[in-house]
Amino acid sequence: MPSWLRRGETLAVVMLSVVLVAALIGPLLSPYSSIIPSGAPHLPPLSAGHLFGTDELGLDIATRILEGTRTSLLTALVVTVIAAVAGMLIGTLAGFVGGVLDTVLMRVTDLFLALPATIVAMAVAAGLGTGLTSSMIAITVVWWPLYARLVRGEVRRTARALHVEAARMSGTRGTRLVLRHVLPSVLPTVAVTASLDIGGVIVTVAALSFVGLGAPAPAPELGLMASAGLQYVVNSWWIPVLPGLAVGLLSLLFNYAGDGLRAVLRGKGA
Amino acid sequence: MSKPHAGVLEVAGLSIRYTSRTPAVLAVDDVSLTVAPGQCVGLVGESGSGKSTIGAAVQGLLTRETHVEADGTVRVDGVDLDVTAEAGWDGVRGHRVTTVFQDPMSSLDPTMTVGRMLTRVTGSKQESLRWLEAVEIRDPGTVLRAYPHQLSGGMRQRVMIALALARGPALLVADEPTTALDVSVQAQILRLLTRERERLGCGVLFITHDLGVARAMCDEVAVMRHGRLVERGPAATVFGAPAEPYTQRLVASRLTLSTDRQRPIGLPDPTVLTAMRETGAAPDDLEHRWERGDLHWSSFTRERTEVRGGHTLELAGVTKSFRTGGLFGAAHKTVLTGVDLRVARHQSVALVGESGSGKSTILRIVAGLETADAGDVYVDRTQGAGVQVVFQDAGASLTPWRTVGQLLAERLEDLPKKERDQRVRLALERVALDPALAGSRPGQLSGGQRQRVAIARAIVVPPALLLCDEPTSALDVSVACSVLNLLNLLRHELGLSILFVTHDLAAARIIADRVDVISDGTIVEQVPAASMSTDMTSEYGRRLLDAVLA
Repeated sequence: MPSWLRRGETLAVVMLSVVLVAALIGPLLSPYSSIIPSGAPHLPPLSAGHLFGTDELGLDIATRILEGTRTSLLTALVVTVIAAVAGMLIGTLAGFVGGVLDTVLMRVTDLFLALPATIVAMAVAAGLGTGLTSSMIAITVVWWPLYARLVRGEVRRTARALHVEAARMSGTRGTRLVLRHVLPSVLPTVAVTASLDIGGVIVTVAALSFVGLGAPAPAPELGLMASAGLQYVVNSWWIPVLPGLAVGLLSLLFNYAGDGLRAVLRGKGA
Repeated sequence: MSKPHAGVLEVAGLSIRYTSRTPAVLAVDDVSLTVAPGQCVGLVGESGSGKSTIGAAVQGLLTRETHVEADGTVRVDGVDLDVTAEAGWDGVRGHRVTTVFQDPMSSLDPTMTVGRMLTRVTGSKQESLRWLEAVEIRDPGTVLRAYPHQLSGGMRQRVMIALALARGPALLVADEPTTALDVSVQAQILRLLTRERERLGCGVLFITHDLGVARAMCDEVAVMRHGRLVERGPAATVFGAPAEPYTQRLVASRLTLSTDRQRPIGLPDPTVLTAMRETGAAPDDLEHRWERGDLHWSSFTRERTEVRGGHTLELAGVTKSFRTGGLFGAAHKTVLTGVDLRVARHQSVALVGESGSGKSTILRIVAGLETADAGDVYVDRTQGAGVQVVFQDAGASLTPWRTVGQLLAERLEDLPKKERDQRVRLALERVALDPALAGSRPGQLSGGQRQRVAIARAIVVPPALLLCDEPTSALDVSVACSVLNLLNLLRHELGLSILFVTHDLAAARIIADRVDVISDGTIVEQVPAASMSTDMTSEYGRRLLDAVLA
């Protein structure tokens, strides 16, 4: 890998750390509330007191983006972790036990894999009402099968390795065998995939909000901000564009950082 | 072009450094050697000795490598060449100097038929056919139309030799050409190489770790260690009366069919000596006794109170076949047909056979890693803790992220922690590993250490039966020698029953009381190890015997 790219990944990790810290403590530092107007409407970026300007209601866009970022990150993290853990559990069971259980679990996985996120989100929203929780449930439902497939393959491959047979000969069986001799070789792959996926989940959450299946207005949610502000794009471009850019940048940073993680783990022979 | 009396290969003061690491690795250190036309010079050494680096350098395979520096001169067939620069190698590499590598599969083009490859060199189909006949391929017409993957390992190596020799090279570099082959095939390939060399009069640089092969093949040998030339001279002198201590140890480590079975093999080895002292049964002047040839395994044999007799392992009529797939309905390949095999209490049996004979399948069935289709498998578990295996590839049999201590302790889960640590320490001492290594991971150990860890794991609770799957064939001679000694020590001290799978009759003879020959999934004969060379009558057994180089 060329060294400038490696530098790019290091930069991404540094920037990501800055964004994470800003998203966590930023809203506390901001003098404005994200849902109470704090200035004249349609103030352009770099106006006095409003770095990114204000929206059509006079809400401070910088504050709302910071808070929206925090929501996005939390949502993406929760969804990815739940999906990865559920996928690992099911993938490991299927891959290690094999036989009928494998067939049943994998067909169920295929079923879920075939579901489109938007349709599931609409169904969940119809049942539980629109909101962040609903879109999180919807995304988790369509996201875990990817991990189940990935983990099943890795587990099957590792379970045939000589060191696992040797451990079996040592009398180590069942859960203990899986935890000690099989899963540690799967974890790095899952970690890399998950870190690359967070960006994707952020975009999906924003997309669902954009089409109205996420948090209702006036919640500071990036997708919602972009969608609500779209009607002002001609005269006040910053209202929809800045939240949109934030989504893109976040997802890009996670992708770069994930690549960096992969390079580091591969360097260690994982 | 070439001056009279000049060698086809003249290397003087060659040093090669790999500079990608700091400090730079000195792979070859001031080596000089000459190969005369028609002469076979052996480059002998253990892994990491730099022998393959020299092989690559004189073929011009290092010219495109970055991070390589070289001093000294290399002259191939009268042409002075720089091993790190491309200039001058055209018309030499692949023409004046050609190669036979260890793994013919990776050096033959998988997309071309043998005929196409060969005809590119020979120019005509008739010539290609003639060359295939020259390398003793029985059905040259068919082989000419075949792709490399359709041939056996021995056939591929023959094709490789034909390709290398058809160029009419001045120098042939043979880099471990028979290491990947069955021993019985090895002997044929070596004879073929010698005959063709004499016929064509080309010089051969023969790179090998196997002293027996070097002795059988070479006029002159150069022994390498840590990049330096340790000793050089006519093969008969170097192997008959080695001058350097390192060569002496190497030569003593080599097993033949006349090696004494009752005594430790090779020169006194600190590893084995330590393990012997751990037993508490060792005589005081251990090292001197070994040196004088006055140390017998019997002095380590413990008094056994239980009644003799009975069997640790009994296989009766064991049959096994594997599904080989097939698009419409599964095809079956029969691997074992009615195998009867018994290992008596405290007995050690060697199972010998070529690859594909079913010997590994028997081992896996006994280990419980496969189940037999039919027949009885009985292991007397009252004799110890089940069955344990020492695999050929010790590195792959140890879980890379677990420490040595954790791996050993897995067999002791029922014990309290303190006792577990104690037992792990004892087991490591038994195989002469520093107990401090309990905290290391397999990746931090050398090949020999890993194999000893695998043995320690197998004996941390003495098993009823110890299965060994070619435990020494991936190791350097001196390391293999100490592993065999350790196994023998444990066998006598603990009274282990052992089933030792191998294709090396010389090693089988050292470890086993009885040798069973398996061929095509059936045991064809069983002979006492002591009188093996006279008693063996089966065709495959005789072939294996012939393959053991004197």
